[in-house]
Amino acid sequence: MGGKVTCTLGEVKNRGDFIIYWGGNPAECHPRHFTKYALMPKSKFLPNGRKDRTVVLVDIRPTKSAKAADIFLQVRPGKDFELITILRAMIKDQKISAEAVAETGVTLEQCTDLVARMKKAKFGCVFFGMGLSMTRGKHMNSAALLTLAAEMNAFTKFVAMPMRGHGNVTGADVVMRWQTGYPFGITFNRGYPRYNPGEFSTVDVLVRGDADAAFIIGADPGATMPQPAIDHLARIPTIVLDPHITHTSKLSRVHITTAVAGISAPGTAYRMDEIPLPLKPALKSPYPTDEEVVRRIKESIAKKPFWMPDGAQMIAAQV
Amino acid sequence: MTLTVVNNATCTFCGCVCDDIELHADDVRIVKAKKACVLGTAWFLNHTAERKYPDALIDGKEATLDEAIEVAATYLHEADMPLVYGMSNTTCEAQRECVALADLLGGLLDSHTSL
Repeated sequence: MGGKVTCTLGEVKNRGDFIIYWGGNPAECHPRHFTKYALMPKSKFLPNGRKDRTVVLVDIRPTKSAKAADIFLQVRPGKDFELITILRAMIKDQKISAEAVAETGVTLEQCTDLVARMKKAKFGCVFFGMGLSMTRGKHMNSAALLTLAAEMNAFTKFVAMPMRGHGNVTGADVVMRWQTGYPFGITFNRGYPRYNPGEFSTVDVLVRGDADAAFIIGADPGATMPQPAIDHLARIPTIVLDPHITHTSKLSRVHITTAVAGISAPGTAYRMDEIPLPLKPALKSPYPTDEEVVRRIKESIAKKPFWMPDGAQMIAAQV
Repeated sequence: MTLTVVNNATCTFCGCVCDDIELHADDVRIVKAKKACVLGTAWFLNHTAERKYPDALIDGKEATLDEAIEVAATYLHEADMPLVYGMSNTTCEAQRECVALADLLGGLLDSHTSL
């Protein structure tokens, strides 16, 4: 779980009586999150379902999800980290300045009320979205919120969970952690895995022009990445595996059409709470699966000479 | 044309990964996705099993799967700093193969998470 204080959605469904959504819009991006897990379900511990729950939404504007929440807190854009830090101070009864609170766009009364409600909860859960993790502060915002959830456990049960999107991104994190010890931003260029986002993360690598070939699977960076990164993908030999001809396919040297995971290809996908679920394809694809194509490319490369010459000295791991 | 019904199918459109969908499908397309939300319904109904695209493209020209695999392997093998990226809309089994590929290449490995 990467050290975060979290739980499964089953626990939220059965026990979560205080739900915070921070920087996410589940009503439009995860439409069944409310009804299946977080708001509506009735259980032994929450016999009245929605009536037994308090729901808070923290976002920079009132989205469709605000209608589903009991309390909406409008934070000033880019002030999430400040607001989380203020809440962390308030739960420990530390002094905070009025100016600091005013800067976040949320009033002191709202903060005091929220902290009181958080402490009164039996089982609190914070779901955080890309509005928190992809804006100013980025991973520091997520880290602060995870710390807030951890610190709340001095008073009551409190957990945090990221609202993941994009199909099986959670699975990618889990598989990379299992195989290499790191979740993303990895290099094997010394013969063992090393982790350093910013140095080995894709956008940075492409913008700097470091990579001299790219293998893209189940993603379309040609439609989502900054232009300098796309320009570099067009300069180098790019190989794309996708069920469709994508923007990236159009600038690639090799495109291979594959079956769609979950529709015409079997396998496993991870839910946002890191629960693996089997896929049940309803159709039979005329194309091979991703798994088969990647394995065949790997086998073809394995027949060629290994990239590190015989007798070459490995650079020892740095401590 | 036979109609098949798949119970408790899994939707991989968003992170909720709902596993209670009832899919009604004929030979090439899913015609109904019961219990799925708007996003899930669009996801299931817009993907078909038709042969809409060529098996593979090399420099924009149609090619066979075997040729494309060989060319891809050559490009990746010749590179000094190959990058393996993405892995969102695919299975854990394919992701495992991708990790092995990056390991074999001595290359970079990254997912959507870093974006």
